[in-house]
Amino acid sequence: MLQRFLDPATLAGLSGLDLIAKTVVDGFVSGLHRSPDFGFSQEFAEYRAYTPGDDLRHVDWNVFARTERCYLKRYRGETNSQLLILLDSSASMSFGSAKVNKLDYARFVAASLCYLASEQRDAAGLIVFDDEIENFIAPSTRQGQLFRLLHAIERAEPGKRTDFAKPFVHVQNFQRRRGMLVVLSDFYEQPEIIIKTIQPLRFRGNDVMLFHVLDPQEITPHLREPALLIDIETKDAVEVSPEYVRHEYRRKIDAHIAELETRARAAGFDYFLMNTRRPLDEALREYLAVRQGRM
Amino acid sequence: MGFLAPWFLAGLAAVGLPVWLHLLKQHKTTPLPFASLMFFERRVQSSIKHRRLRYFLLFALRTALLALLAFAFARPFVNSTAAASANGGKLMVLAIDNSFSMRQGDRLERAKSQAAAALAGLRSQDRALVLAFGAQGHLLGDPSSDVSALRAQIRSIQPSDDRGSYAELTRALRSLVLSSHLPVEAHLFSDMQKSSMPPSFTDLELGSGIRLVPHPLAGPSLPDFAVETVTAPARVYDPKKVRLLATVMSSGAAAGRRRVALLLNGREMGSKTVEVSAGGRAIAEFIGLDAPYGMNRGEVRIDSADSFPFDDHYYFSVERSDPRPVLFVHEAREGRDLLYYRSAISSARDAAFTLEAASPDQATAGPLARYAFVVLSDVGSLPASLESALRQYVRAGGSLLVALGPASAARRRVPVSDAPIRDTHYSPRDAERFETVASLDTTHPASRQAADWADVQFYRSVRIEPGSARILARLTGGAPLLSEQPVGEGRVLVFASTFDNVSNDFPLHAGFVPFVDETAHYLARLDDRSSNLTVGSYLDLHTGREASGAAVEILDPHGARALTLAESTRARSFQLTGQGFYEVHRPNRQNSLIAVNPDRRESDFDVVPPETLALWENTGQASVVQSGRGAEAERRPLDFWWYFMMAVLALAFAESLVGNWHLTVDKEAV
Repeated sequence: MLQRFLDPATLAGLSGLDLIAKTVVDGFVSGLHRSPDFGFSQEFAEYRAYTPGDDLRHVDWNVFARTERCYLKRYRGETNSQLLILLDSSASMSFGSAKVNKLDYARFVAASLCYLASEQRDAAGLIVFDDEIENFIAPSTRQGQLFRLLHAIERAEPGKRTDFAKPFVHVQNFQRRRGMLVVLSDFYEQPEIIIKTIQPLRFRGNDVMLFHVLDPQEITPHLREPALLIDIETKDAVEVSPEYVRHEYRRKIDAHIAELETRARAAGFDYFLMNTRRPLDEALREYLAVRQGRM
Repeated sequence: MGFLAPWFLAGLAAVGLPVWLHLLKQHKTTPLPFASLMFFERRVQSSIKHRRLRYFLLFALRTALLALLAFAFARPFVNSTAAASANGGKLMVLAIDNSFSMRQGDRLERAKSQAAAALAGLRSQDRALVLAFGAQGHLLGDPSSDVSALRAQIRSIQPSDDRGSYAELTRALRSLVLSSHLPVEAHLFSDMQKSSMPPSFTDLELGSGIRLVPHPLAGPSLPDFAVETVTAPARVYDPKKVRLLATVMSSGAAAGRRRVALLLNGREMGSKTVEVSAGGRAIAEFIGLDAPYGMNRGEVRIDSADSFPFDDHYYFSVERSDPRPVLFVHEAREGRDLLYYRSAISSARDAAFTLEAASPDQATAGPLARYAFVVLSDVGSLPASLESALRQYVRAGGSLLVALGPASAARRRVPVSDAPIRDTHYSPRDAERFETVASLDTTHPASRQAADWADVQFYRSVRIEPGSARILARLTGGAPLLSEQPVGEGRVLVFASTFDNVSNDFPLHAGFVPFVDETAHYLARLDDRSSNLTVGSYLDLHTGREASGAAVEILDPHGARALTLAESTRARSFQLTGQGFYEVHRPNRQNSLIAVNPDRRESDFDVVPPETLALWENTGQASVVQSGRGAEAERRPLDFWWYFMMAVLALAFAESLVGNWHLTVDKEAV
């Protein structure tokens, strides 16, 4: 039942992005309980000798009763991280062949990640960009950060063309602390340029995750008859035949995806292709897997 | 190429449908927004064009299908050359004229030698045949490449007494083209007589695949005298009354006095000298012919001393016999009918009949078979025995003339013919309410010389129901005046008035004697057969009155039997192929002697003008020109609509495949 709520089409029926994020994360976490492969959060990590200044709430009094020594009980969840989400809001992200377009899907993912990060006490930040920085919320764990993020995500509207250079330069300028960078985009750029643009962040110790959001119609398009395709960003028009789409285009998009994934992994990025038809938990699972690796 | 049903070509308008679908109908492409055209290049257009090319393939298939369907229904045909002509072979026809005129000088020999020389032009792939023609064409063998055999056939050609006919030659050539399927090259060796040309030039139409190569043999027109015709009675009853006319004609520049001799059975009976002008005619008249009883062979001969002696004599046959008796049955009250009829029949030509008058009672005494025919002149009461004898006599082939008057009007039916008698029509003389002859059937022998009947006044006539009888004359009231009713093998003529100058004034008119004469000859069957015919005529052998299996024997001019035993019983006719006398022996001793002479048009040596000859040649060459090339090629229409239909089926299959390929719904498509 809960899995149903991870379906993008179902989520699209929910009114608020906060509710969407809560539904996704709660459903996802509930599902985790049934999985033996995953475990984190409030799990016991280690004992540490008490030093003056430590919070007495974390002293394990049972151990003290047996040993008369103060030990602090440490949990994994207490290891905070920083999450910065770069949400591509270019015009091409408004494309969608179903109820949920790519930008909606990216919003869901971003909101869910923010909610999850908030639950984890991670500092979460957001950059909404197209060819300019449309919105920037610095990572923070302050009260109300989640709502600011969700509000900013909700306000993200399809803009102009995509330019990776500006947001990443901006990130380099403002980022003080290592963390995780999640880039949600359709990456309509040459893979070489994308990697070259993002790679400096990796050099500064960030974990970079590229969430490649694509509509199924972009991955495996089908046409019954010749069609005049209009580029949403440039408004260019090209008449294409079903045969070309069926063969040539698929070959090219597959090559593009494969090259991007190859170059991303070679650069130490995590790459994940997100089909907007697929449930959101896969994105969360990918995120958590990366975060766990950082602990 | 043509079309047998060209109106189906209107179906070509259906080609407009694929034209509209593929070319005129605007191709609408749905504009679709897409995330990025990064992976669509301009060369995609070539793909579109490629796609359109395939649409053009579908368009071409559909267009061709509809066009071929229309063509198939229009039944196209081409004039195809016969297969045999593909190798360039031809049929050389050596047509040699052996008509009567070719007897002149050495014309036939020259024709034969030239024909033999023409064989030198025979190629290895050609075949040739020899055709001798006069009034008809005679093939002397099958088409052959054996030159020696062909030369032997040429040598075997003998002169005939036929009349030349180029129309028959043309017909024979056309038949050869159709039967051999080869182009024909006809070499014509003839004296090119103008008289051999048909009346209508269309009969000389050579048609397709015939090339005529004339070889004229005659030089300038030759002077010639000929006995053109002899007018002599077929039967002689009174030798002193015989009048014989012989016409001597001159052709070319011949003129002069010529002696005309009359020979009978080889004995000269007399001679005359006539003056014949150049290109004119002269008539020699012989009065009296002392011919012995029986069949006699007559001949009129001239001493022409020209280069063509074969037309200097003319044969005729004459039969000497006693006049035949005619029984005139009447009720001897006044006898005026007998007077007028006897006077008329004795004044008629040839004096062929003698009249024997008898009352009905007297007529029952003697046999009727010896009479040429019987006349019943207004007989009221007829003894049953006489009527029975008359009926039997007529059914056996005898003839009866019935004149109806006041006495016979009392009867209910006409004797023997049994035609019902309705009433008597009477018109008083003083009131001028008489009837006249309204219509005449001049095609009938009995009434063909009845032009003088217009003034004949009929005051009284008997109305009969003619039934199936042939009406030969009608009165102004519409009643039959003269009718013929065949009874058995015999003839019954019914005259609905009398011969006594009471019921009419016919006996006083000039037309009465010819009427009596013609009806007498018709009823006596004296004019059934002519005894003087021309070469090529056909002789009727069986009249239908003979017993089944009766043989007719014919002896030709050389005394040989012209018919085999089987032919003598079965043959219905016999063609007279040579001049001279033919003896014909029929059953019941009905023998005859037929004199046969060549057609005298053969004595006219005027030749066909060169322009006419060129025109004749062109009737064959024109069609060859139409054929484009290969002058020898025979062309005939070849209907090949079913090729088109096979192509339509193949195209329909291909269109289904291509169309299905284009129109299949892509199940993966969104």
